[in-house]
Amino acid sequence: MAKKENKVYGILAEFDNPAELLHAAEKVRDAGYKRFDCHSPFPIHGMDEAMGLKRSPLGWMVGFMGMTGAGLGTLMQWWMNAVDYKLVISGKPFFSYPAYVPVTFGVGVLFAALTAVFGMFHLNRLPMLHHPVYYSDNFGKVTDDGFMISVEATDPKFDAQATKSFFESIGAKSVELLQPE
Amino acid sequence: MEFDSLNKKLEEKGSNGKLALILGIIGLAASAFGYFQAEEQFYFSYLTAFFFWGSIALGSLFFTMVKHLTNATWSVVLRRISEAFMAFLPLMVIFFIPIIFGMKQLYHWTDVEAVKHDALLTKKAGYLNTTFFYIRSAVYLIVWTVLARVLYKASVRQDTEGHSEALDKKIKGTSAAGIILFALTLTYAAFDWLMSLDPHWFSTIYGVYIFGGAFLAAICSITLVALSLESKGILEGVITTEHHHDLGKMMFAFTVFWSYIAFSQFFLIWYANIPEETIWFLHRVEGSWKTVTLLLVYGHFLVPFLLLMPRFVKRRSTALKVMAIWILFMHWVDLYWNVLPNFSKHGMHFHWLDLSTMLGIGGIFVWHFWKTYRANSPVPVNDPKLSASIEFTNF
Amino acid sequence: METAVKSSVDVKAHGAQLIDGNQTFHSVTEKISQITEAGTPKMWYVGFGISVLLLLMGFSMIGYLIWEGTGIWGLNNPVGWGWAIVNFVWWVGIGHAGTLISAILFLFRQRWRTSINRFAEAMTIFAVMCAGLFPAIHVGRIWMAYYMFPLPNQMAMWPNFRSPLLWDVFAVSTYFTVSLLFWYVGLVPDLATLRDRAKSMFRKKIMGIFSLGWRGGNRQWQHYELAYLLLAGLATPLVLSVHSIVSTDFATSILPGWHTTIFPPYFVAGAIFSGFAMVMTLGIIARKIFNLEEFITIKHLERMNIIMLLTGMMVGYAYSCEFFIAWYSGNEYETFTFMNRAFGPYAWAYWTMIFCNVVVPQAFWFKKLRTNIPFMFVATILINIGMWFERFVIVATSLSRDFLPSSWDYYSPTVFDVGIYVGSFGLFFTMFFLFIRFLPFISMTEVKGVLPQADPHNYKH
Repeated sequence: MAKKENKVYGILAEFDNPAELLHAAEKVRDAGYKRFDCHSPFPIHGMDEAMGLKRSPLGWMVGFMGMTGAGLGTLMQWWMNAVDYKLVISGKPFFSYPAYVPVTFGVGVLFAALTAVFGMFHLNRLPMLHHPVYYSDNFGKVTDDGFMISVEATDPKFDAQATKSFFESIGAKSVELLQPE
Repeated sequence: MEFDSLNKKLEEKGSNGKLALILGIIGLAASAFGYFQAEEQFYFSYLTAFFFWGSIALGSLFFTMVKHLTNATWSVVLRRISEAFMAFLPLMVIFFIPIIFGMKQLYHWTDVEAVKHDALLTKKAGYLNTTFFYIRSAVYLIVWTVLARVLYKASVRQDTEGHSEALDKKIKGTSAAGIILFALTLTYAAFDWLMSLDPHWFSTIYGVYIFGGAFLAAICSITLVALSLESKGILEGVITTEHHHDLGKMMFAFTVFWSYIAFSQFFLIWYANIPEETIWFLHRVEGSWKTVTLLLVYGHFLVPFLLLMPRFVKRRSTALKVMAIWILFMHWVDLYWNVLPNFSKHGMHFHWLDLSTMLGIGGIFVWHFWKTYRANSPVPVNDPKLSASIEFTNF
Repeated sequence: METAVKSSVDVKAHGAQLIDGNQTFHSVTEKISQITEAGTPKMWYVGFGISVLLLLMGFSMIGYLIWEGTGIWGLNNPVGWGWAIVNFVWWVGIGHAGTLISAILFLFRQRWRTSINRFAEAMTIFAVMCAGLFPAIHVGRIWMAYYMFPLPNQMAMWPNFRSPLLWDVFAVSTYFTVSLLFWYVGLVPDLATLRDRAKSMFRKKIMGIFSLGWRGGNRQWQHYELAYLLLAGLATPLVLSVHSIVSTDFATSILPGWHTTIFPPYFVAGAIFSGFAMVMTLGIIARKIFNLEEFITIKHLERMNIIMLLTGMMVGYAYSCEFFIAWYSGNEYETFTFMNRAFGPYAWAYWTMIFCNVVVPQAFWFKKLRTNIPFMFVATILINIGMWFERFVIVATSLSRDFLPSSWDYYSPTVFDVGIYVGSFGLFFTMFFLFIRFLPFISMTEVKGVLPQADPHNYKH
């Protein structure tokens, strides 16, 4: 463990405002970095393009799970009321599908909503209670009014010195190496 | 941005306005001929066509008023389109005339002898009588004409005079009062013109149901025009994919809304199973009407619901165009399904008059649309929200 | 640095007016976070204390109810469904405004929602909790409540999915779950702010766990924003469906006054109407206690008043439509029911409803009145009273005059009906006071996002 203490896990550069962060992101993207992220207190419009991110697949996941939920909901009602426990209610057929619409819809929405939340957690790898960016004392500003870019050491283009001077050249207010104290 | 040249471009490229007019006249002539062949069929087909095109104009009136009231930004570039559609409303007065002549054939409650022997209709005679019907219809048509004219003129005045607080206030005030008048007139027009075709039947949601279909049809029509303008290179870069996307979202949302209202109506009547209400649906599952009913379930709800859900469909012009045409067709099927079972009671019988009346009124409708649209700048040039509307992007 | 940003911002007119007082990102964080960090205002203790007392009173009455049975309520032979169902529908309805503000206004890109959506969402959750209480206790034998869920049991029975009451179970529990998730997802970035500001290790740990290690990276924001959008897209039809399903409790029956096809959208409009009124009531109190006039501005309040005017008219439309069709149907039972509502023994309740729901909101046509805080405070309370009476009118008038005149009876509540209802306010406000004390009750993230300096386009290059 002691050897790891001085290992550099990445680099963190701070910028002045959302606009500068956006332009810096474009430059980082164009410089060929892959494992970098732009941290801000709120989502910034146009950042996905600036970083060159692909669209989130969450929509498809939610759509698929919503359909699955609705299908399972119908199946459940069919099996419970039309197969396993038949009961005549107000002269309606055992499989009276119009009456099953509300619950089918409800189960579908439930599945879809759970997928939206837990799918997002999965895509964002949450919860993740530790991350190299927390080595910086400055990082707490990101949830207040800080705008920062982090590059992880695992990025093939990463080189502590070169990356540092790159950030300085594109107008970072401050640059620091992420390493355990 | 420079918009003056665009009008010229619109004229050069042609908008099929003339063709529409010719088709319209042919359609009307054919329908007139059909009138002598099959009088009763003519009236029912005509009422369907009349309400179909009228509903697009009405939905557009609502679209225009709501966008004024909510200060919507994204839709400013589309405003002229919805305004040109609603400009058809004054013409509805003329197209209403044949219905006056067809009262006897269309509305059973006009038959004095039958009413005498019908306890229910006797009770309703205070409302369902010809004089009161004419008075009400006149009120609806006048209200719509006035609203359409006032809003259209004020909007055009903004082009020439520029934006002013006073004008804005006038537009907003008219829209606020207009929304209330619109809700009431459309509801009662739906009750009078469509629901009273089956004078024994009643449903409190019927007005909302007709509104849902009308607004959806208006959105689809606006989408079609926006797409056609773009494909012709007119308003390129003004009406963008982002606007299509939003129109697609609205198409999706109001497909769901219509389905929700239609289902509520069916569901509650089906569940309670009271004969005086179920009869309406029973007529519509008789014989080949059942196929039409199922077509509505799948075509008006399920297909657009599933196809409009993914993002890429809403952002691709061709896909969106197909969906808009399809939903408009379904809207016609919906109205047909509301009106015609009162005539051909035991099954659907398609008659060429169904087509010719649609073509006749539709031709005039389309011609009038392009004529109005070309008469002024294709976008409200002096609207302070215009540039924001052009730049608008979805999230 | 802050001033440097501001001077370089080319503020666009429409973006600047959402939040007053020239806020910076940091001032937003400060102003909202410190409510949860600083000492507790005296007013809070007073309010919380009263709420807890009411809660205790309500729950002791519920204890007695479970012991004795529903006979302690004012139910009688034709009126077998009294305050419990009225309160249930009323509370669910109130809950809906939270979802509406969060989800529907979000979809419509109404950015002014950011100042009010957090506490509106919290209100939804607490209101649904109150709502859920009533069906649970009104079944009589509460220990049999598991019958309502599709759980395998030794009698090999399944619930009846053709019953509207079962749809309620599914609709309300789905609604509660989705609202909770939506609210929590919205809270995550704000909890991260509290984590990073925390002074004590304990607070840092708690906030750290609940903020899941949020880093505010755009790779996270990207999925997060889509998840939020999807949740909004799901919550919108859900909120429509929930109150529609609640309306089917009545509308699938054949009882005149209950069975009418407009019920689903009419109930939804009413729910939004009363819910907005409740958001206003709470918002006016909260902004006063915590001095948040810059965040919840008069413009926010005015817009909400306009929505109440609109939904109030929708409700009025439904009343008139029902009345007209009751006559138009030619059905003498329908006609009788509606004449009885307006002129029968419950006429006082009916006209209270009309006055509060249809007449009062008309005042909001006037700018003077819709920007007058004391007036709107009173109006919102009147509207909530009116909406409670709406449900009361529906339940009591139709049941008390059923098809058989010999069984007609008048329904009056007992002290337990009133007590448990008041107790549900105790539950609601207890939760609400805890929420505004310990969690950021305005979304810092979203408020920052609508400040003019948040938009990169507003900077000169």
